[in-house]
Amino acid sequence: MTHVLRRLVLMLLVLWAIASILFLMFRLMPGDPTTAYIDPTFTAEQRQVVLHQFGLDLPLWRQYAIYIGNLLHGELGLSFRYRAPVAGLILNVLPNTLLLTLTALVIAYIFGALGGALLAMKRGTWVEAVTIPLVLATRAAPEFWLGMLLLAVFAFAFGWFPSGGAVTAGAAFPSALARVTSADFAHHLVLPAATLAIYLQGLPLLLMRANMLEVMQEEFITMARMKGFGEWSIMLRHAARNALLPLVTAFALGFGASVGGNVVVETVFSWPGIGRMLVDAVASSDYPLAQGAFLLIAAVLVVMNAVADMLYGVLDPRVAHAAG
Amino acid sequence: MTHVSRRVFLAGAAAVVSAASPRAADPGDRIRKLVMLSAPQSNDPQEFQAAQLLAQAWRQLGLEIEVRPLPRPQLADIVWNQRDKWDMSMWRMVGRPERSDPDELVYSLFHSSTANGGYDFVTYINKDYDRAAESERQEIDPRKRQVFMYQAQDIIDRDQPYIFLVFPKNTFAYSSKVWKPESMVEQSGIGIRCFWTFVRAEPASAQKDMIVNAAEPLVALNPLYIGGAVDSWMTELVWDRLMRVGPDGLPVPWSASRAEWTDATTLDLALRPGQTWHDGEKVTIDDVLFSLQAPANGNFSPMYKPFVANIAEVTATGEDTVRIKLKTPNAGFLTASLAKLNLVPKHIWGPLMDSQMAKGQSAEQYQEPKPIGSGPFRMVSFNLQDQVVLEANEKHWAAPKMARWILRVVTNNDAALGMLQRGEINFLTDYRGDPKVLVDMAKQDAAIQVVSTTDMGFRFLAPNGRRPPFNDPTFRRALSSATNRQMLAAAAWNGFAIPANSMVAPSLTFWAKPGINDLKVDMGEAKKLLTDAGYTVVDGHLHYPPGVKETLTGS
Repeated sequence: MTHVLRRLVLMLLVLWAIASILFLMFRLMPGDPTTAYIDPTFTAEQRQVVLHQFGLDLPLWRQYAIYIGNLLHGELGLSFRYRAPVAGLILNVLPNTLLLTLTALVIAYIFGALGGALLAMKRGTWVEAVTIPLVLATRAAPEFWLGMLLLAVFAFAFGWFPSGGAVTAGAAFPSALARVTSADFAHHLVLPAATLAIYLQGLPLLLMRANMLEVMQEEFITMARMKGFGEWSIMLRHAARNALLPLVTAFALGFGASVGGNVVVETVFSWPGIGRMLVDAVASSDYPLAQGAFLLIAAVLVVMNAVADMLYGVLDPRVAHAAG
Repeated sequence: MTHVSRRVFLAGAAAVVSAASPRAADPGDRIRKLVMLSAPQSNDPQEFQAAQLLAQAWRQLGLEIEVRPLPRPQLADIVWNQRDKWDMSMWRMVGRPERSDPDELVYSLFHSSTANGGYDFVTYINKDYDRAAESERQEIDPRKRQVFMYQAQDIIDRDQPYIFLVFPKNTFAYSSKVWKPESMVEQSGIGIRCFWTFVRAEPASAQKDMIVNAAEPLVALNPLYIGGAVDSWMTELVWDRLMRVGPDGLPVPWSASRAEWTDATTLDLALRPGQTWHDGEKVTIDDVLFSLQAPANGNFSPMYKPFVANIAEVTATGEDTVRIKLKTPNAGFLTASLAKLNLVPKHIWGPLMDSQMAKGQSAEQYQEPKPIGSGPFRMVSFNLQDQVVLEANEKHWAAPKMARWILRVVTNNDAALGMLQRGEINFLTDYRGDPKVLVDMAKQDAAIQVVSTTDMGFRFLAPNGRRPPFNDPTFRRALSSATNRQMLAAAAWNGFAIPANSMVAPSLTFWAKPGINDLKVDMGEAKKLLTDAGYTVVDGHLHYPPGVKETLTGS
């Protein structure tokens, strides 16, 4: 229990540090949110009004105190640009990003785990010689290139999938839930999720393969062989289950990282997600929105880190023992 | 980094005066390395390339020039908020229908009253110019006003406070399988992506939805706040205005059936009968009064406040007539204010104004869940990051011919082209790539029509008048003479631009002085101007006239 509590306090400390760094970072960055208002009729007095509205005319320490105070109440503030609560803006696009990320991760990790196990079995064969460079190449290929390639082939040339967006023009849905569970949404999800999955599959695949190779040297595998189990049974029931553990950690961390890291895929496929919103917010010096989005990403990462840790303990009692 | 204080600026000006009587002495100080700010290549390839070409040309005068790319917000922050800390910067003025009356630009860009914190960030101060700008603003008679407009353009041509570069062309494309070409309207200085196309376009087939694209998300759908470029396309469709800027750039009565000046500061308007809000309520004269008065209320609408600032009084003179008294004569009022201000329903925004003001908030912090206007299109649904769906308001006196108007946010330029070819969009209304790619694509596909229109907006180099040597008009004129605008238009803008030398675009045919943009590049003339003013080249480096010290101090 104390372990969990300590962990929680630590997480809060990390988040506080991140929030503070974010606050300072955006205020030290050159640029000024009022530059978005520059217009022939914009005057020095109007600029002061805007600065006052944004609270930017207050001393830095007071701005910081208000910011932290709001955070403690769960308030992320008002976006400078959208003039709307940051939380609402983020919540509006978060489901799109989560669905994209989760779909891609699940595909990438299932494919990676199976592929990695298979490659470990085929060690030293021509299958390995062909597949490993291919995996490395897709892992190294820039996402936008991959995305454009998929677009050119499956959207422009074959016309199987739409060229962007999350739903068809003019499509109407009774609710947000109906929208993200519709066939139309799924149809639009295919290409961006595939791009992201192709980009992500390299890590689990190579990780799985390396783990398998390691596990296969263990005595219990030799033992199983001596017992006369079939090769497939040994691989899947004995080796793969043990080799899967590090993948769980990688999945949790990968999820945390890709919630905010989909800027490129979101831009290429005009996917209304949080990564795109984040980049826009930074570019327009929308401090509250950028801070809120970054903080959310950090929180997801920190939480997923903790989840990975705990899952690891559950899946592998040896680790839980050591931690306790 | 060295900076020039305001005192040094004055000293520099004095030095220029003394240069008028050059002594046969040693040359003045060598002109320091000058920094030219520009958008980065990734952000604006045309501007970046133009900056490189300018620097290249001006180096031939013996100047040392560094092109320094900066992200737009940082660049704007320096130019706008640190007025004596930069040498020169690339800048742009965008075209908008309300700028079809050149007053906003003629006045705000160069009138000395805007030098301190306003748009005259190059700090151009000239009493003669101020008089010309004030006169054109106050003169109601177009013929007489034209004389002052010409005068203002002549003074700018002489003093070159900006080095104007080009008027770029706006390029849009649509599918003629979906829209009848003869029904697409090319608005002067704007292009085919305009209000008139949206209300007049006729379907050529069973597809009656116009599907357009925007390269960036929307910020707000609010009759009292425009947060980004795309917002304004929607607001002018959902909310009507008393006047509209017609396809020819002149104001035409719209929600008003007529608008007449009874004297220089009194305007009588009549409301077109039978108009209704999208919720079924009647548009009344009270709504009109409210729409003209609300923006003036405290900080309720900071963005629209300047456009009602000159209104002294608005009174209803009958059931559907209204009289506007202005504080001072303003010839551009019909275009700049009445064609810009949205008519907003008092029954919705009246109570909202009270509650927002009570909370210390403005109209900008409120987003209607379902915006209500009286315009030719009704709001069906919107998701700012994704798409907006409007439908034709069949009850409108100028009801559109299309069924729905759908805007999709497409952040990938190339995907937008693909969408146009595949029919996922049928009117490409926001294209930020190379127009030539678009033209080439249209050659492959007979259904795709491309229309390029010279923008009323322009690109220019802003030389900082607070810092020598830019405080010397002769120096600026020399830079201008050494500028090959034809080449910039051809090379940096790939031919999709025409040379510029005025803030009044040639598309504003009545106001633009004929021939003002026909500047010839003449490197010999540039060098002669400098030599005659006492500037000398020593070992390949340009020096100030004799006796002129470049005293730059840290500020």
